[in-house]
Amino acid sequence: MKKFNYILLCVLLLVANGLTAQTPKGSVLIKNATVLTVTQGTLEETDVLVQDGLIKKIGKDLSAPKNVESIDATGKFLMPGIIDAHSHLALDVVNEATAPITAQVSMADVINPFDVGIYRALAGGTTIAHGLHGSANAIGGQSITMKYRYGTHDPEDIIMKEAPRTIKFALGENPTRVHGRGKNLQPRTRMGVEAVIRNGFAEAIQYKKQWETYNASKDKKNNTITPPEYNLKLETLADILDGEIIIHCHSYRADEIYMLINVCRDFGVDKLVFTHVNEGFKVAPELAKYTMGASVFSDWWAYKFEVYYSTAYNAAILMENDVITSINSDSGELIRHLYHEAAKTQRYGGLTDEQALSLITINPAKQLGIDDLVGSIEEGKQADLVIFDNHPLSVYAIPQMTFVDGVKYFDINDDEDDQRLKVSPTQMVEPVYLQAEDERCMHGVELFTEEAANFTHTH
Amino acid sequence: MPKNKSFVSLWLDLNILSTHNFMIKRQNTLKLLMVWFCLLLGQTVYSQSDYTGNKRVTGTYAITNATIITSPGKTISNGTIIIKDGLFAKISTSAQLPVDAQIIPGDSLIIYPGFIDALGEQGVASPEEAKRPKDMDPSNPPNHVAGITPELEVLDYWNIEGNGVEAWRKNGFTISQVAPKGLMLPGKTALVVLGDEKSSNYLSTASGLYAQFKTPRGLYPGTTLGLMAKWRELYKNAVLKQEHEKMFVAQGNGLARPQNDPSLAAFYPVIDQEIPVIFQAKDELEIRRALKLQNELGFRLVLTGVEDGSSLVEDIKAAGASVILSLDLPDPKASKVEFDEATEEAKKAQQRVVEAYNNALMQAAHFEKAGIPFAFSTQDAKSGEFMKHLSLMMENGLSEEAALAALTINAAEILGIAQYTGSIAEGNLANLVITTDKLGDEKAKVKYVFADGYLFEYEGEKPKVDMSKAKELVGTWNYESETPGGTSKGTVKYEINAGELQGEIVVDDPDGSGQITRKLKDINYDGKELSFNFSVMAQGNKLIVYAKGTVMDDKFEGTLSIKDMGKYSLTATKVPEFKL
Repeated sequence: MKKFNYILLCVLLLVANGLTAQTPKGSVLIKNATVLTVTQGTLEETDVLVQDGLIKKIGKDLSAPKNVESIDATGKFLMPGIIDAHSHLALDVVNEATAPITAQVSMADVINPFDVGIYRALAGGTTIAHGLHGSANAIGGQSITMKYRYGTHDPEDIIMKEAPRTIKFALGENPTRVHGRGKNLQPRTRMGVEAVIRNGFAEAIQYKKQWETYNASKDKKNNTITPPEYNLKLETLADILDGEIIIHCHSYRADEIYMLINVCRDFGVDKLVFTHVNEGFKVAPELAKYTMGASVFSDWWAYKFEVYYSTAYNAAILMENDVITSINSDSGELIRHLYHEAAKTQRYGGLTDEQALSLITINPAKQLGIDDLVGSIEEGKQADLVIFDNHPLSVYAIPQMTFVDGVKYFDINDDEDDQRLKVSPTQMVEPVYLQAEDERCMHGVELFTEEAANFTHTH
Repeated sequence: MPKNKSFVSLWLDLNILSTHNFMIKRQNTLKLLMVWFCLLLGQTVYSQSDYTGNKRVTGTYAITNATIITSPGKTISNGTIIIKDGLFAKISTSAQLPVDAQIIPGDSLIIYPGFIDALGEQGVASPEEAKRPKDMDPSNPPNHVAGITPELEVLDYWNIEGNGVEAWRKNGFTISQVAPKGLMLPGKTALVVLGDEKSSNYLSTASGLYAQFKTPRGLYPGTTLGLMAKWRELYKNAVLKQEHEKMFVAQGNGLARPQNDPSLAAFYPVIDQEIPVIFQAKDELEIRRALKLQNELGFRLVLTGVEDGSSLVEDIKAAGASVILSLDLPDPKASKVEFDEATEEAKKAQQRVVEAYNNALMQAAHFEKAGIPFAFSTQDAKSGEFMKHLSLMMENGLSEEAALAALTINAAEILGIAQYTGSIAEGNLANLVITTDKLGDEKAKVKYVFADGYLFEYEGEKPKVDMSKAKELVGTWNYESETPGGTSKGTVKYEINAGELQGEIVVDDPDGSGQITRKLKDINYDGKELSFNFSVMAQGNKLIVYAKGTVMDDKFEGTLSIKDMGKYSLTATKVPEFKL
């Protein structure tokens, strides 16, 4: 008996260990909702059963298994968790602006799971965000796709492990201002940006070859080839050339967009997404043919010279030209109502409900390489879901509950004033309490750009 | 002593001779020089003749009749410690005192093993700031400009007479692992004993590779992003470089000569698991990042300066990392602000600040509860606040034994020196601290410190009372004090107890009606000037009231003051004693 207890304890401990090593997965039955699947039409008065973090069944009159909570969503709307393909939330550092290429750095190293912005994004229905390096460098750092599992202290729990690797590139005024005008280095012009990227790729090819030569001969008898220097930057660039990393490139002008398409074609790189892309409408066929699409603002422009030629019809034009198009936030504020941003494409371009919703769900999922897992309500997909009181494209829509992997992380009826996970013991609180945060693309580059202070928007 | 005296007078005579009789014949001068020379030689032969008076009379000490805490939880009452030649020669309750021993009566005193600072920077000077080469590419600066100098040895920048050594020794610290100053990889740490200034004082020269989350401005790596990448790159290149060097030694012919790279070579003992990386990681995310690097690269890890590690005890355990907690505690200012007039939301936010503050004070107790042995670091802590911070941690759940272990044996074990220090045992280094009260008691004062067998006395810290005059005070005094709240009246009583002037005061209770009696502390009296202080609790806050003034026969005139609150007049008259 004693022995049996001991074994039981061991088993329990093992199970407990297994559970802590994994992120939480939930089960729930959402009943009688208008289900906006995005990929399979709108299903009226339909139930969605979630088990262990996955969508198990979509249908009518489903019953909840034992111990699974049932939520009555009569008259409410259920949509896939919103995915933001461009964010700088929950990152302690945004720019390592000291070099034109910083492919060696990784945003996964600086995730801050305590950022209350995560909770606010969840309250706006966002469940996944792509945390990008800033736009100071021609080739920035490796970005990170995050699932907003708010409440954990462990940055690893925020990472969407299944997502492929991504990296930030940046063209135009930001890298030339930081490195060219700020430090008198290449790139000083758009030509320089192209040269920096091409040189980087060319070096990576040589680097890869060096290691291949060494690895092929190191175990041979009387080998005289010594280990080459390890270079994490070139290692990463080589991985891009090998198709292991998706590029997300900050860009505005049509010429620079087409330039990078050509550079990538020259080097055989086809995993390429453009972000911002304000002049994308001018090169829509090229974007459709050669890239994984464009992630745009609904209507932000004119915050610097390269962003003047812009239109709110951009997303609609791109979509009608078969470009995989998404709308992103690049902001701790917009990420709280991306459904409004998507709805603007119905006013400017007359997109259908399904098209508009795809801008913030399945399309960004495609751009992040995770569309087989999330981005729509389909059986077998991960249960990232949002319940709205009205149609999410209505200006009156308010998110009611947000689920990630079937676990409820936001409930409007259980929404405490102070949702911060961590408070500093030395933080002075003002008797009248106000809080403000700002997450930006060019965060941390003020040192290099004296005029940066004059920009209110520096995306 | 007579020998010493005669030498000095002779030397004076010679001086007078040589200056006054400058025109003396050369022969005489030579003779004189010879005498001078012989005397100099004589001095080295009879070395107790030290005209400076600095040299200690004996290296043998006996501390008698004291309470000895040999290690946490182990006490010898009325014990005697004999120190000889820098080591504990004898610890017992019935030791024969050596004839050459300087005897220190330990009655009413408590002896602890000398404290060990597991990571500090007392006595360490900053290296000169690296000059940035002209036309340097900020994306690829030379290592030393970017704060990467793992090859640097802290002992080249350490001086026993440097900043902070005396201040921390005064707190009872006898050994320190000193860290070099700099940015991400400042260099190697060393173990030093805070002994005599003429000794070499080091125990080991390269005890660990010191690392911090600090980066240069405007150069790569300029942020934590770059720092993490640079760490991986340096480490992996050190592994490759070491491999290359081994190949070259074994094979030689036909191989490219390895290029010397001192920064990478500095990693070899880390790669070979000979020394740990000592990573300063204060907050939770920094600790997680250090653990992440350790997990990827596989080095031995010591986390130091930990201020916010309570929620990571399991991860730290799993990683097998050692822990050095910071002796610095958060500034209580933010948590003590009055919020009566604030909005409800602000009050709630303030409540969380108070919780966070209390949590920080409980960190050491959390680690104790989790069963993780930890040590303390003096880095970034103020020496003047050591005793206060220690008692704050103990008031917040840290046991006396765990506190002492952290300061002694745990630190010794983390540093790998427990075989000769960290406890009071025969044969161990003669490092100890002698206090007036138990650790954690706020009035505990360090009276003596032995480091490396050298005695340091801190009697000067004690309040001074002229005992011959003190008996004039003994008795009861009626006092009056004029405060904005009206006239306050009460009594002060003085008595002499165990050779010490003691006293108590009866004051109006600030928290209610009636009067309370408080003990007087830090009484100073030289026959004329009298001062003391006492504490009262007012609405949960401890107020320290300072009294100061002049005694003339049976009258006292002076002031009462409370910090930041003002000064009030205080007069007192001695109640005549009636003799029957």
